[in-house]
Amino acid sequence: MSAALPIPVIQLLQVLTVGLGAPLVMGFIARVESRLQGRRGPRILQPYYDLAKLCRKEALAPAGASPFFLAAPVIAVAAYLTIPLLIPVLTSFPLPLGYMGDILGGGFLLALASFVVACAALATGSPYAQLGASRAKTFSAITEPVVLFVVFTVALLTGTDLPYALAATVRSSAGQVVRPAHLLASAALFMVILHETGRIPVETHTGTSEFGMIEGARAFEHSGPYLALLTWGSMLKQLILFTLLANVFLAPWGLAASSEPGAVLLAIVALLAKAGAVGVVVAVIDDSFAKLRLFKITEYASAAFLLAVIGVFTLYLGGG
Amino acid sequence: MDPAPGVYVGVANALAAVMLLLEFGMLRQALVRDQVRLYAAQSALISVLAVVIAADRGLPDLYALAALSGALKIVAVPYVLRRLLPGHHGRRVPGWLSPQEEHPGPWQPRDEPPGVAGSYTLSPASAVLASIALGAFGFFCLGSLHMGGLTVPTTALAIAGAMIFVAFGLMIIRRDVVSQAIGFFSLENAISLTALVMAAGLPLILETAFLFDLLVAVVVFGMLIRAHHGSAGSLSTADLTRLKG
Repeated sequence: MSAALPIPVIQLLQVLTVGLGAPLVMGFIARVESRLQGRRGPRILQPYYDLAKLCRKEALAPAGASPFFLAAPVIAVAAYLTIPLLIPVLTSFPLPLGYMGDILGGGFLLALASFVVACAALATGSPYAQLGASRAKTFSAITEPVVLFVVFTVALLTGTDLPYALAATVRSSAGQVVRPAHLLASAALFMVILHETGRIPVETHTGTSEFGMIEGARAFEHSGPYLALLTWGSMLKQLILFTLLANVFLAPWGLAASSEPGAVLLAIVALLAKAGAVGVVVAVIDDSFAKLRLFKITEYASAAFLLAVIGVFTLYLGGG
Repeated sequence: MDPAPGVYVGVANALAAVMLLLEFGMLRQALVRDQVRLYAAQSALISVLAVVIAADRGLPDLYALAALSGALKIVAVPYVLRRLLPGHHGRRVPGWLSPQEEHPGPWQPRDEPPGVAGSYTLSPASAVLASIALGAFGFFCLGSLHMGGLTVPTTALAIAGAMIFVAFGLMIIRRDVVSQAIGFFSLENAISLTALVMAAGLPLILETAFLFDLLVAVVVFGMLIRAHHGSAGSLSTADLTRLKG
């Protein structure tokens, strides 16, 4: 039996896995997507090269922009890198810092990152960046009730709102997996994730038309390393949300139950595989649906809300 | 912490929840063809649920019921409904769009039955929200009766109550004859769901009688749809408020 890894190392590994794995997942999705479209597509490692190239470029700021414009990408990435400490990325047992914040804490960090990026976009004075920031805030206000109801479901299922507790509950029996509240909440969360990561049917991920852009437009005025940070930030957000979906809701199996290096290594591979599987689903959706018109997004949000609300309802009679 | 119900109850509840979602899908759907497809999917789930209950409780009758209900509601009813819709076989009947949509008439493929996209009285998102409220009313009404024991999936029963109300909502919110017919048929689905969940051992002959009643209703509704379309020139019921023709 090999020596166990110290707990702080595992905690650090959670952050490193998400931080370094995020561009890989992004590249993988782009690859699958282009294969489905009959193209060869960029290589899977392309996002790393893109980030490296951006880091070598010159950084410019619009005249009159406040220092906050340059600080925002750093704050956003810092927020994103804190979240892997709070959610079960590699281990099924809670790590010491895991109880630093619950699901709401993680949600606050995600909201903080999105808020500072929106503020930076407002600081530029550029119409498109402001349009993106305003739209992003509007639509996240519409999807907020869905997230709340998903959190209510988690709270009713487990009595807490800790991600580790829900993962343990789902693992505990097959009855927990098939109960409608769990399935409905997972589906609603998945719809929110599609919205939050800027995927079809809400937003074209790779599009260049400003009028359809929501999240993508916010980074228009950033350049060089700051743009690299923002791009990396959106990749981090994507992997964090995928991890939340896979390791907490849909498939909390394959996590390390002990702190042995072998188990932790296996958990890293399992996480990336699960994120890849979610990515394949996202790519298929990307290639099979059209983007919704901007004013139809409320209908999408209302569908997700329906799922989450019915999930909470079913729990009230004890049978859900 | 809430203890999970057994796998059987969980599956029954989840199937019922998906049926409720399909009911909302019908509420939202713009094309008659898709509404009929959703209805067929909902009926398929009823059959699956019957098989699940039959396997769990050892009621061989229910296998026969599942097969019969499947044959009737997945195959026969959608087929009859499609045949009876005006505009079948690619005949283009003039003015089959609802009046709201006629100007400037959107493109309609030739083989499609008439569109009912313009028959909303509320915007789709508001319709969904209003129906959530209606469904919640039905859900808690049936749920508060505390019917059933350990083996009855209480949540599925309450979901059936929600489905009944959403089906009514569908008939109220959509102002076209086809949606109203589909709402009526899915109301029958909701009642079948209630019967299956509450009284799985309901005699087969009784259930069969219900199913054939449904077939009669389908034919009658089909004739009504044709007659209405023939006299009003559209599927919309908006013109029915006039007292004189």
